[in-house]
Amino acid sequence: MIRSILKTALLTTALVGVSVGGALAKDTIVWWDFLGGGDGVRMKALLDQFNKESTDLEIQATTLDWGTPFYTKVQTSAAVGEGPDIMTYHESRIPLGVSTGSLSEITPDEIKAAGLDAKNYAPANWAAAQVDGKQYAIPLDIHSIILYYNKDLLKAAGLLGDDGKPKGLDGAANFDAALKKLTANGVSGLALPNDGGTAWRVFYTLLNQDNGTFFKDNKFLDGDNLQKATDVLTEMQGWVKNGYTPANTEYPASIALFTSGKAAMHINGVWEVPTMVDLQKQGKLFDWGAVQIPVFYDHAATWADSHAFAIPNRQGKELTPDKRKEVLSIIKWFNEHSLAWAGGGHVPAYIPVTSSDDFKNLKPNSDYSGLAATAVFDPVTTLAGVASPVYDAAGNYIVPVIQGEMAPADGAKQMADDLQGQVK
Amino acid sequence: MASTTDTTAAPEIRLNKHRIDYSEWLAAGIFVLPFVAIYAVLFIYPTVQMILLSLQDAPLIGAGKWNGIDNYIRLFKDRLFSVAVWNTVYFVLLSVIPSTILGLLIALGVNRLKGWAQSVILACFFLPNILPVSVVYRVWNWMFDSQFGILQYPIHFFVGANVPVFRTLPLFMPTVAFITIWWGIGFNVLLFIAGLRNISPDIYESASLDGATRWQQFTRITWPLIWPVTVLVLTIQLILQFKIFDQIYLFGNGGRSDATMGLVQLIYRDAFQKNQGGYGATVAFALFAIIVIFSVLQYQLLRARGEK
Repeated sequence: MIRSILKTALLTTALVGVSVGGALAKDTIVWWDFLGGGDGVRMKALLDQFNKESTDLEIQATTLDWGTPFYTKVQTSAAVGEGPDIMTYHESRIPLGVSTGSLSEITPDEIKAAGLDAKNYAPANWAAAQVDGKQYAIPLDIHSIILYYNKDLLKAAGLLGDDGKPKGLDGAANFDAALKKLTANGVSGLALPNDGGTAWRVFYTLLNQDNGTFFKDNKFLDGDNLQKATDVLTEMQGWVKNGYTPANTEYPASIALFTSGKAAMHINGVWEVPTMVDLQKQGKLFDWGAVQIPVFYDHAATWADSHAFAIPNRQGKELTPDKRKEVLSIIKWFNEHSLAWAGGGHVPAYIPVTSSDDFKNLKPNSDYSGLAATAVFDPVTTLAGVASPVYDAAGNYIVPVIQGEMAPADGAKQMADDLQGQVK
Repeated sequence: MASTTDTTAAPEIRLNKHRIDYSEWLAAGIFVLPFVAIYAVLFIYPTVQMILLSLQDAPLIGAGKWNGIDNYIRLFKDRLFSVAVWNTVYFVLLSVIPSTILGLLIALGVNRLKGWAQSVILACFFLPNILPVSVVYRVWNWMFDSQFGILQYPIHFFVGANVPVFRTLPLFMPTVAFITIWWGIGFNVLLFIAGLRNISPDIYESASLDGATRWQQFTRITWPLIWPVTVLVLTIQLILQFKIFDQIYLFGNGGRSDATMGLVQLIYRDAFQKNQGGYGATVAFALFAIIVIFSVLQYQLLRARGEK
């Protein structure tokens, strides 16, 4: 009796051992990302799908803190040969990543062998992953700022076209006139978060629309770009000064102003699309829409960044060619399945996805996905990018200008001087 | 009897002392060694490395180039460094002394309560202390929110308009200091209560029999006897608040962070954000020196006064 129990026990153990062994036969890929909130949920679903579908690869994913903590951890671990096989990376942060030796180049041969092709990506998006012509990442999406609008309020002001999109907002003067019309009965025309990140994104969008160059040949706001920056800042300051935009609105409060109907329009990142979608599903939101930022000046342009995939430069313990091949195949898979990622408001980087019918039916994403064609990425310098000195400078100079604490010309000049002083 | 034992014992002790010197040294050394070793590895070695790093033009990770005292010259020319020193000292002034005085007052009050009332009140004051800084930030940021904050009702009543407190430079440091005091005062209260309970009730009893007033009892008995604890609280607070980072960083994030920058934040920005490990170490060493000087000065000053 005892012997038979023992036998069964041994047999079971052996079987479990075999099945565990079978699972282990899948090659493990270590993955780091910085995706929290709704982005994290969507990426988790994609990761689960991948692990279920893949017969030979198992992704072991860890989510870390967004921003400087993430990049510091990547840098320190890469320096000692530790860290992941694949990681998410902001394209705007690639110049700094390359300068600290954290990123490993992805060669043209590897890209070709993996079946990836630059033609499948918006040229600016693909190029933003390069430093000195070398590719360091493959983009997953383009994320940008968009104009959210309340259809009821715009209609009442005669600013809604028959297609349900705003009309008559192009041109700085027209935009201001529209804000004036919308600002009535305790409703503001525009809700704008008062953080440096938002300030930078709006400022950089308008500056590029005005043919301005923020950084070139190691110089910040050189020549007549300073005047253009001043003009743009004057325009932005006017929104608060004229009472179209409530002063000093914290990020969450600015969203609340829009979703509670106290502001007719709202400029914020595409990543807040899920917030609106969810609220509407619960029946707590009016009829709303989102379009790309209107053309204030000469031509269409919108600030953009991209969540991309990169391979860390693990010094002394580099990835084997086989592992790199596996990683690139994973990147390709995520690109091909990025329609699910678009649920987070992002515009997929992979053009075959954005030109599919499924994406075209995805609203409001397809209403603003045109911004990808005219997207402008952060200037290529180690001082720019997510959580960089440029973002800090935006908080120190652009925010006070918008809130009316500093003259536009002073803000532009001091920002240029401050950043110039940090150029090595 | 007593005198004979005294005379015989004395030379014996002297003899013993002479004889066992070396073996006791050895034993003591063995017992102390683990601490000294860990202290050397975890504290002294990194400190020395930091000082060496401050003499180099080095990234955050990896080797640097020696550049003598260039970093220190840059430090004294750095506008942000002087801003950060001033902000840090200002914050210390706003937080250390008020939180010590307030802590003592609350402790005196709580100490007069008896039984469960004392426990409940003490718990109320200590409760904020267990909150992580991110929660403290969330709570107060929403309470002060310039659009929807509950505190804007009284502010609107008195000022006539909503005030974005954390975006109004003159209000920033005092408000953050106030929140810091609210957050951390429970610990001071606890230390003071422990000190107050150490004072024997007999002293108060005999004082009141002698006709001492409440005020006399406080100034002549409580204050001198609680002084060592006060010195301790002041020193702990001083060192803690010189290292201020979290609150200023969170409340100032996205705004005019240059104007509200503290020293630790400057270290963080230079070393981690801008990848200038050498210069970051220089600022860190400056902060280290400031804290050492201030705490030694303060401790000596207060102890000297207390011994009179």
